[in-house]
Amino acid sequence: MEATSKQKAPLPNRLGIKGWAWAGRYKIERYLYTLHRLTGFGLLAYVALHLVANGSRLWGQGSWESTMNFLSNPGFKVGEYLVMAAFIYHALNGGRLMLQHLGFTLGKPKPPIYPYVDAMRRRRPLTWVLLALIMGLAIYVLVAFVIYP
Amino acid sequence: MRENHLKILQYVTGIGLFFLVGGYHLLLMHFGKGDPESWSSVAQRAASAGWLTIYILILIFGIYHGLHGVRGLILEFSLPDRAVKVLNYSIVFVGIAVFGYAVYIPIHAF
Repeated sequence: MEATSKQKAPLPNRLGIKGWAWAGRYKIERYLYTLHRLTGFGLLAYVALHLVANGSRLWGQGSWESTMNFLSNPGFKVGEYLVMAAFIYHALNGGRLMLQHLGFTLGKPKPPIYPYVDAMRRRRPLTWVLLALIMGLAIYVLVAFVIYP
Repeated sequence: MRENHLKILQYVTGIGLFFLVGGYHLLLMHFGKGDPESWSSVAQRAASAGWLTIYILILIFGIYHGLHGVRGLILEFSLPDRAVKVLNYSIVFVGIAVFGYAVYIPIHAF
């Protein structure tokens, strides 16, 4: 990115995409961030597929109905569930990231008294609650998919 | 400052998408009548100003949120200034093209 005279130029990204998975002792939040990116890519791929499927309307009712028949096979149903699960994860984890970036869940500053507890660990309960909520919703949607296929 | 504004828009579109996509899905799949994927239902929605407005809002929010997210990932790879400019123009071009195609479908299909 272009650095202004007041900003320092960012350090070069030597690790590249490998840094998403490993660059030392990552904590769980870092892996949630990586999963956030992967679910984002998954949702983008779904949107592209959705637009292609919607485009079949341009060739009339027959084309639309044959596309819908093709998409109703079990493989696509599994894909549909994965899209729902990705949406739940991406939305709730995105909410957590947003709150943290804007400073709402950081808590009050504390003096550095040994044993030091970093900000990441102080916010950990929020992460566990979020993961439990995501798991609960993903299981609920899975049950709904099985009962109402 | 410009990047901050773009980031705030990323948050706004994310929140908007959560409610719009969630609301659209609930209305369509759980509270709607008949098969939402049948030709007649799809044609009916394409003719409704309300459904089209929601669809276009989802498109605008979704395209911005998705493409700005991808731009952020690519910018992490320490690109030279010229490449950043090319990336910015490409992202805007792709966004406009996808939006145009997606709006063309319901307007011209029925």
